Amino acid sequence: MQREVGSLPLAPALRARLAAAGFQTAQELLETGPCGLSKEIGISKEEALEALQVVRQECHGDAARTAGGSGATRKFTALELLEEEQAQGFIITFCSALDNILGGGVQLTKITEVCGAPGVGKTQLCMQLAVDVQIPECFGGVAGEAVFIDTEGSFMVDRVVDIAAACVQHCQLIAEAQQEEDHLKALETFSLESILSHIYYFRCRDYIELLAQVYLLPEFLSEHSRVRLVVIDGIAFPFRHDFEDLSLRTRLLNGLAQQLIMVANDHKAAVVLTNQMTTRIGQSQSTLVPALGESWGHAATVRVIFHWDNSQRLATLYKSPSQKEATIPYHITVSIAFGVESQRGEHSGSCKGTFRHRDKSENDVCLFVGLPSEGNQ
Amino acid sequence: MKFPSCEDVEACASAKLLRSMAAKKLRRAQLSQELCERLSRCQITTCQDFLCLSLLELMKVTGQSYYEVQKLLCKVSRACAPKMQTAYEMKLRKSVSPSSAFLSTTLHSLDRVLHGGVPCGSLTEITSPPGCGKTQFCIMLSVLATLPLSMGGLDGAVIYIDTESAFSAERLIEIAGNRFPTYFDSDEKVFCMTRSIHLYRELTCCSVLQRIMSLEEEIISKKVKLIIIDSVASVVRKEFDTKLQGNLAERSNFLTRGASVLKYLAEEFSIPVILTNQITTSLSNGPEIQADLVSPADDLSLSEGASVSGKKDSGCVTAALGNTWSHSVNTRLILQYHDLPKRQLLVAKSPVSPFSAFFYTIEKSGLVLQDGKDQTNLIWEGTNPALQPIRVRNTALKDTLLSATLPSTTGETSSNTSDL
Repeated sequence: MQREVGSLPLAPALRARLAAAGFQTAQELLETGPCGLSKEIGISKEEALEALQVVRQECHGDAARTAGGSGATRKFTALELLEEEQAQGFIITFCSALDNILGGGVQLTKITEVCGAPGVGKTQLCMQLAVDVQIPECFGGVAGEAVFIDTEGSFMVDRVVDIAAACVQHCQLIAEAQQEEDHLKALETFSLESILSHIYYFRCRDYIELLAQVYLLPEFLSEHSRVRLVVIDGIAFPFRHDFEDLSLRTRLLNGLAQQLIMVANDHKAAVVLTNQMTTRIGQSQSTLVPALGESWGHAATVRVIFHWDNSQRLATLYKSPSQKEATIPYHITVSIAFGVESQRGEHSGSCKGTFRHRDKSENDVCLFVGLPSEGNQ
Repeated sequence: MKFPSCEDVEACASAKLLRSMAAKKLRRAQLSQELCERLSRCQITTCQDFLCLSLLELMKVTGQSYYEVQKLLCKVSRACAPKMQTAYEMKLRKSVSPSSAFLSTTLHSLDRVLHGGVPCGSLTEITSPPGCGKTQFCIMLSVLATLPLSMGGLDGAVIYIDTESAFSAERLIEIAGNRFPTYFDSDEKVFCMTRSIHLYRELTCCSVLQRIMSLEEEIISKKVKLIIIDSVASVVRKEFDTKLQGNLAERSNFLTRGASVLKYLAEEFSIPVILTNQITTSLSNGPEIQADLVSPADDLSLSEGASVSGKKDSGCVTAALGNTWSHSVNTRLILQYHDLPKRQLLVAKSPVSPFSAFFYTIEKSGLVLQDGKDQTNLIWEGTNPALQPIRVRNTALKDTLLSATLPSTTGETSSNTSDL
């Protein structure tokens, strides 16, 4: 297949010169050689050599692609995809009802968007996931690390400490109950300090910092290859002011979505975004819809909306390629650790959390595991 | 009075972004001199301009190949991107100086539920109907912030931006003297405290925004440890009539901009920022209408209808300023009426606390919590903080007429005349 000169990723000025000199295909360029090229178009020998190297790389890339090897576009059969999907892990949320409607939990290599009214629990969920992604494989987790990009400033370290402590405690209980060796071994490295040290936190103050950070994500994830979760808490906030030019905003958001899809696929990570709700004024009524407009709805693969019904919190699966739309109720439990020791022995009775392994009949919709306190009973 | 135009507000606010990382000149992003000159010929001088272009546009203006441009993009991104920290490092930093993580309100049950008090580094909002105690709470917190660390204070100055002219210095001294009689035993201490509270009277949205943006230097020079804006709602509602077309978007724009500047200040200096808000009536089957607080009669009639029938179609009284503003604040405390003189404090939105309710009264020493057996401080009945219904005064009015004695509620009647 002959590649046209105009489609090669060379500098525009160079391309223009090549076109003016009459070159049409990449093959011609390669045949000419660097010295000939430099004489014909009037560039230095070094520049000609660089250009030829780029062309050669492109042609090799093309050849590899047509042969079915790895490259920017990959080819799979559906069977290979099925095997990959089945082997993939999920990041559990500790709420079995929510995990069920998501099909097992938050999926890797997909973008999940969580929309919700203020105060409904989006940041809580993100903090929970940042801890849950680190659960060792023998307990049913994916043993990964987490990147947390915060644009709203709602990340509370103390809350993460509470959640992490509760998670470690649960794993310890399971290990005690089942007494398997790999459980105990995994627990040696699964401690509060290690969980906190593997949450990489970035605070982005405006949309430029957010864009910059997302451009740098591929590099960061290559260096930290164990990252399996990227959370962007508040994708809407930096884009909701300072934008007179809405088409620029749409373009930037689309670019952002593309980058995130690439990151999710290349590094087998789950990307979780949180979005705000905004009021859309209709003719006679106003409804709450996810912010950032209709076109943003295409960016995420899975969309979950958290909302209130009087005093009950509900989660609705709004968009998913594989699961049915469903709504479930949930609670956020709280650990009131201020001056209370946790009581290990009575833990299983009074704890309001739930694991897949032990299904509680009541309260099986509780979301975040908390340490029990005297106030709760 | 001249109403500021949209352009004025935009101009004030856009000046802020220029001081952030995005405005970093490309020169300082370690691009070559030649490249910077070439880019400036196309009016691309800051990182923001660079990152907003698409790849093809970048190739055109830089004259470089695709791969080169990607490397440049990474270089410029590195100049703007925030620094990484692990959650562990953040925890260590907090544990090194634990007292500076929050401002204790000296209301013990509230402090316990909030894990220490009003959190530093985030925005806390206090919403209530008029005369319920917002300004009292703010004055009380101002006193607390000036106290030394050993007494639970922040040992710093306070910036109080007053838009309703409700601040009363006499009440300040009364609260200080009654709450901490042993500490404020000499005139010297009282003057020292009053000297560290800096009051600014701002009456328009634009001036409030300008004031907020100029705070950075003041905070450093005066060693400020608390910012209070009382109240955001009054300036915003005077100038933006949401019934007019386009005003809702303008208002949201102004509010989110203000919120992001305040968040920046709160986080940068690790100080609490307290904002007060008013109430409005939201009809569930129509767009929000503003309760007209200029004439109390209207206010009563609206809320009368709301509280008597609990049905959905009559709407309810909630915090003002809309849904977007509810997203922007990190913590929301609601003060509402109960059986007078008792009032109720609700923790409606908090990242560390569940929905909780406490009873309090307003005394000479400020707010005082009623700790009692009927104290149910963990109620799982909260709802969307943006729509949490708030009880207003008239429901309790008939009770006060029945009960003969009114305890001393000196604070709210004498100095807060402008709350009406």
